[in-house]
Amino acid sequence: MKKKLIKFYPLIPVFTVYILLFFIGKNVPGMWQLVAMLLFYCALGQAFNIFLGMTGYVDFGYVAFMGVGTYGMALAITRLASIEELGIGIIVAGFALALLMSTLLSLAVGAVALRLRGAYFAIATIGVNEGLRFLIEGARIWNGSEGLIFVSDINNILGRDTADALMTFWADVMVLVIAALAAVVTLYYMRSKIGYALTALREDEDAAKVMGINVTKYKIIAFITSSCFAGLIGAASWALKTPYVFPPEVFEIQYTIEAIIIVLLGGAGTLLGPVAGGLIYGISKYYLAVYVPGFQLLIFAPIIIVIITLFPEGILGMLKNRFQNTGLAHFII
Amino acid sequence: MYKVLTVKDLESGYGSMQVLWKPSLQVKEGTITSLLGPNGVGKSTLLVTVFGSIEPWNGRIYFGDQDVTNLPSHKKVEMGLALAPEGKHLFPKMSVYENLSMGAYRKKALAHKEESLKLVYTLFPRLKERKNQMAGSMSGGEQQMLTIGRALMTKPRLIMLDEPSQGLAPKLVGEVFETIKKMKEEIGLTILLVEQNASASLDAADYVYIMHEGLIKAEGKPEEIKGSPEIREAYLGM
Repeated sequence: MKKKLIKFYPLIPVFTVYILLFFIGKNVPGMWQLVAMLLFYCALGQAFNIFLGMTGYVDFGYVAFMGVGTYGMALAITRLASIEELGIGIIVAGFALALLMSTLLSLAVGAVALRLRGAYFAIATIGVNEGLRFLIEGARIWNGSEGLIFVSDINNILGRDTADALMTFWADVMVLVIAALAAVVTLYYMRSKIGYALTALREDEDAAKVMGINVTKYKIIAFITSSCFAGLIGAASWALKTPYVFPPEVFEIQYTIEAIIIVLLGGAGTLLGPVAGGLIYGISKYYLAVYVPGFQLLIFAPIIIVIITLFPEGILGMLKNRFQNTGLAHFII
Repeated sequence: MYKVLTVKDLESGYGSMQVLWKPSLQVKEGTITSLLGPNGVGKSTLLVTVFGSIEPWNGRIYFGDQDVTNLPSHKKVEMGLALAPEGKHLFPKMSVYENLSMGAYRKKALAHKEESLKLVYTLFPRLKERKNQMAGSMSGGEQQMLTIGRALMTKPRLIMLDEPSQGLAPKLVGEVFETIKKMKEEIGLTILLVEQNASASLDAADYVYIMHEGLIKAEGKPEEIKGSPEIREAYLGM
């Protein structure tokens, strides 16, 4: 029994952080905005880690899946707004559509791009993000560059009070739930055959093939899982918090870069790493913007360089080495 | 005798550069078949094409009676084809035991893991001594043994060895070839051996193919190859 439970120990620190964040945000006045941002970055890191961390492939077009997820939610709300009896069910439909659209996109992208390796894969994926944005703008899909604005739709369906609560509070709680789900899936993968296959192919793809691992299959599994979570984050954090969507905002490559930084900072391929990375990145970004507005990137860059130089395997890599033979080792992976 | 592997008029290469120009060969069950030739003639390309790491452009590959030309690598491993690749490709930060365990990744191989492990440890007692050592910290010869050992963990019928003597001290080369012979004689494995070391592999092999510029230039029993001054001089430099 104990042995069975020990498998889940690593989730304890992750969930503790999320629960603490939630209570700090809820009870300390004025903190919710910061907490929401931290939750967003933790969720982003946790989701991206499933692909970047576990396979070692860098997807520079990752934000495209968040963008598509945002569109999924936006489309569900704008198209189904006339069905009044749907009520809160419209949000469920939105998530379902976000999930469907990010899955389809990741299948299409994965089937082509995952045939490439290393830098070639990274370059191909940059194209996905930009290409999609220009396609939506140029072909005037989903209202093109004018975007979708659905504040009034949400207000009509849910009523103004519920809609306000959704946008200012519940959307962030949903991000928290998504982050927690991503953590559970990450641990499940790590502890199953999928995790071994992914680790093997990350360390040496040719060796993985020699052992009879279907590398394409596992790369695609990780890619789709990770992309689905990105879609959900987009739907919750972008579409529901700010009820409009414009192509240049949701296909902004900056978010991909932030996701990469968070994963590498915290420790790629670890469970707790994205949380640590998300917290450090989010808090630094927030306070640097408050105290040295305009200079935050200039100051942040050397901080990242220092951390990466001191801990090449991320914060978690350092912690893992330090607590290797102690009782804490069960909690830190 | 039963043919484990048949390669017919195989063509492949990288990008637009063709490397294999229709070589054909056969590997008979329970034998060591050696593919000899200098650097850059396509020996390794032939192995990775057979294994499925790169796609064949033309020609056919049969495993037993089955056409496996376009089968992906993991299916071939399942059928009993193993490759010990050139340049080792080990997991340096994992222990010897863990590397070997990874070899038994497929379900079929996992069922025979203990048995295969025993076999590998008998063939390479050194690996047993070092089972908890990190693979990356071992000597070149030991890493080569581990590469072969890991391939054996997939429980193959045919194992393809890509330059197992590469970069080894002369004394170790002898040891590696002894083990290869043992694999055939004591376990009854079928082996396709790619080598530059002509004299050692001529001694070990039952049948030899000489490869040059992407095709097979000569073939025969080792005695025939040794007995032909033209072949030796033109392709083997000995």
